[in-house]
Amino acid sequence: MNRLSTRQATLVYSVTGIILIIFMIPIYLILASSLKPSADMFSRPPTVFFTPTLQHYVDLFTLRPFHWNIINSLIVTLGSTVFSVTIGALGAFALSRIRHPRINDAAFWILSMRMFPPIAVVVPYYIIFKSVGLLDTPLALIIVYSTANIPLTVWLMKGFFDEVPEALEEAAQVDGYGIVEIFYRITLPLAAPGLAVCAVFCFIFSWNEFLFALMLTGSSAQTATVAVMSFWSSDAVQWGRIMAGSFIILIPGVIFVLTCQKWLVKGLTLGSVK
Amino acid sequence: MASVSLTNVVKAFGAFKVVHGVDLDIADGEFVVLLGPSGCGKTTTLRMVAGLEDVNGGEIRIAGEVINDRAPKDRKIAMVFQNYALYPHMTVRQNMEFALKPQRLSKAEVDAKIAGVAAMLGLDVLLHRKPAQLSGGQRQRVAMGRAMVRTPEVFLFDEPLSNLDAKLRTQVRMEIAKLHKQLGTTVIYVTHDQVEAMTLADKIVIMKDGHIEQIGSPEEVFARPKNLFVATFIGSPSMNLFRMTAERGDTGTVLSSPAFSLLLPVELGAKLKPGQAVTLGVRPSDVRLAQAGDADAIEARVEVVEYLGVEALVDLRIGTQEFIAQIPASERPALDQAVKVVFNPAGLHLFDSESGQAL
Repeated sequence: MNRLSTRQATLVYSVTGIILIIFMIPIYLILASSLKPSADMFSRPPTVFFTPTLQHYVDLFTLRPFHWNIINSLIVTLGSTVFSVTIGALGAFALSRIRHPRINDAAFWILSMRMFPPIAVVVPYYIIFKSVGLLDTPLALIIVYSTANIPLTVWLMKGFFDEVPEALEEAAQVDGYGIVEIFYRITLPLAAPGLAVCAVFCFIFSWNEFLFALMLTGSSAQTATVAVMSFWSSDAVQWGRIMAGSFIILIPGVIFVLTCQKWLVKGLTLGSVK
Repeated sequence: MASVSLTNVVKAFGAFKVVHGVDLDIADGEFVVLLGPSGCGKTTTLRMVAGLEDVNGGEIRIAGEVINDRAPKDRKIAMVFQNYALYPHMTVRQNMEFALKPQRLSKAEVDAKIAGVAAMLGLDVLLHRKPAQLSGGQRQRVAMGRAMVRTPEVFLFDEPLSNLDAKLRTQVRMEIAKLHKQLGTTVIYVTHDQVEAMTLADKIVIMKDGHIEQIGSPEEVFARPKNLFVATFIGSPSMNLFRMTAERGDTGTVLSSPAFSLLLPVELGAKLKPGQAVTLGVRPSDVRLAQAGDADAIEARVEVVEYLGVEALVDLRIGTQEFIAQIPASERPALDQAVKVVFNPAGLHLFDSESGQAL
C-alpha cells in the first residue's frame, strides 16, 4: 500500500478519532456511572471528577448471586458457540462439496431458519421446553441460540470452504486419507479464519441475547443480561448496579474478540486478494 | 512397478458421455502420454485410474487386479496435480511426511525416504519452507517429491508443466525424463503439449472426443498417422492437406486438383481407384525447393516468410490452395517470388476424404 501523505493521514486519523469517540462515549458513561456514588449519579451539570467507589460492584455480588449469572451466561454462550461452530462447519462442508442440482435450495432453507423474528417463536419455545422439562435450564438456551447460530455458521463457513481448492482434498485422498481425516487435517485448518469469524458472531449473539433468556429462564439458569435488568423494578431503578453489571458483561466479549482478532482480520479479508 | 490396463472404460457425467469405451494396455515401467486437445477426455481417464472419478463402465486393472471400486489410497498410485495441490499450511517436509503417514513407517524410515527424494530433486534446502515461499518450479518439484516418497507402482501426472514458463518447462521436462529412467516406474502422463508427449513418451495415446484415435510410439504417430486428426494434431507446423482426385495416367496413378497434379509412387498409387477422392498430406518438412532436373516440380507463390534461425517457414500459395514449407533458412526465397517446390515421395500420406482414415 502507498504511504499516506500528511494531509491524508490527518484526515484518516481525524475520522477514526471521531468514530472512536462516538463508540467510546457509551462505554465511558457505563464505566463512570458504575464508579460514581449514587448521590452524584444524576447531578447537573454531570460531575466529571468524583471519588470513585466500588460499592455498586460489591452490591452486585453480595446482594445478588451475579457470579452465578455470569457462569450461566458463559455456559450458555460457550455451549452454543462450540455446538454451532462444530455442527455448522460440518454442514457447510457438505453443502460446499456435494454436487446436486437442488443443493442451493437446501442452503437457502437452512439460512431461512435465521429469518424467523424471535418474538414469533418465543411462545412456542416456552411451551415446548415447559413440556419437556427444560425450562430454566442452560440447555434450553443452548438449543435456542444454536438454532440461530447454526444457519449463520453454515453460510459463512460454506464461503470459506468454497475457497479451499478441491485438488488439495483429492491429493490427500491419493495420499491415503479418508474423508474425515481430510476434513480436519486439510480443509478445516485452511478455513480456520472462517471458524474464528463464526465463533465471534456466535459468541456475541449468545452473550448479548436478552429476549429468549428473559422468557425461558427463571432463577437457576438466569443469564447476566437478564440479571442486570432485575435491578430495574417498579419502585426503584438502581442505576449504579445496572451500570456495574453492564460493564462486567462487556469484558468477556472484548477478551474473546481480542483473542480471535488475529484470525478475524485475516478471515474478513480472505478472498479479497487473490 | 506395475502394468495398467483399461478395458472398454466408459465415463459419463449425467447423460453426457465423455469417455467412450477406452482400451489401453500399459506395460510395467512404460511411460505413456495421453495427448489430445482440451475436452478430449484425457484428464478424466487419468482421474478414473486415480480413483478420483467413478468408472461407469469397463474395467481398470493395476498389476492385473481390477481396481474400479477401490479407494485412491488402495491403488498404489501417486499423482502430481496440474496446480501442484501442495498443502499450504505445511512445510515441504510436512507435505512429504503427510503423504507417508498412512504407511505407518518408523521415523527413521520416513526421514531416510524424505532425505533420499529431497537429494534427488534438490529440495534439501527447501524442506523447512512453506509452499507460498517457493517459486513455481520449486513447487513443481515438491509436488513430484511428495509423489515420489510414497514409492508408488504407478505415477500419474496431470499436465504438470502447464503452469511453468517455457524455459522452466524444458528443464523440468528433462528432469522428469531422467527420473523415469532412474526409477523405472510406470507413468501415465496427461498433456496437450505435443512436444512433451514426443520427448517423454514410450507410447503416445492420442485422444479426441473421448475416443482413442491412435496408440503408438512417437515415431509411429508422427510418421504413420492413422487418420487426419492425428496427422494434423501431431507435428508443428501442422501437416499440409490437399483435396485431390485419383486418376489413371500413362505412367501410373496421378493425383490431380485444380491447383496441381502429382504422380504418385507406384506403391501408393496401387492403393487408389480411379476417380477416388483422397486427401493428400505432406508435412512442411517434406516440402523442399525444387532443384534443376527435379521432375514434377510444382509452381507456387511465396506469401509469407518466417525466419526462425536455423530454418524458415515459407507460406506458399497455388491458386486458392495454401501450404507451408519448412526449409533451411539459407534457402529462403523472397516475398511474392514464384518458386518451384517438390514433395518428398517418402513423406506423402493419403487419407480417405470421407472417413479421414489413412489409406
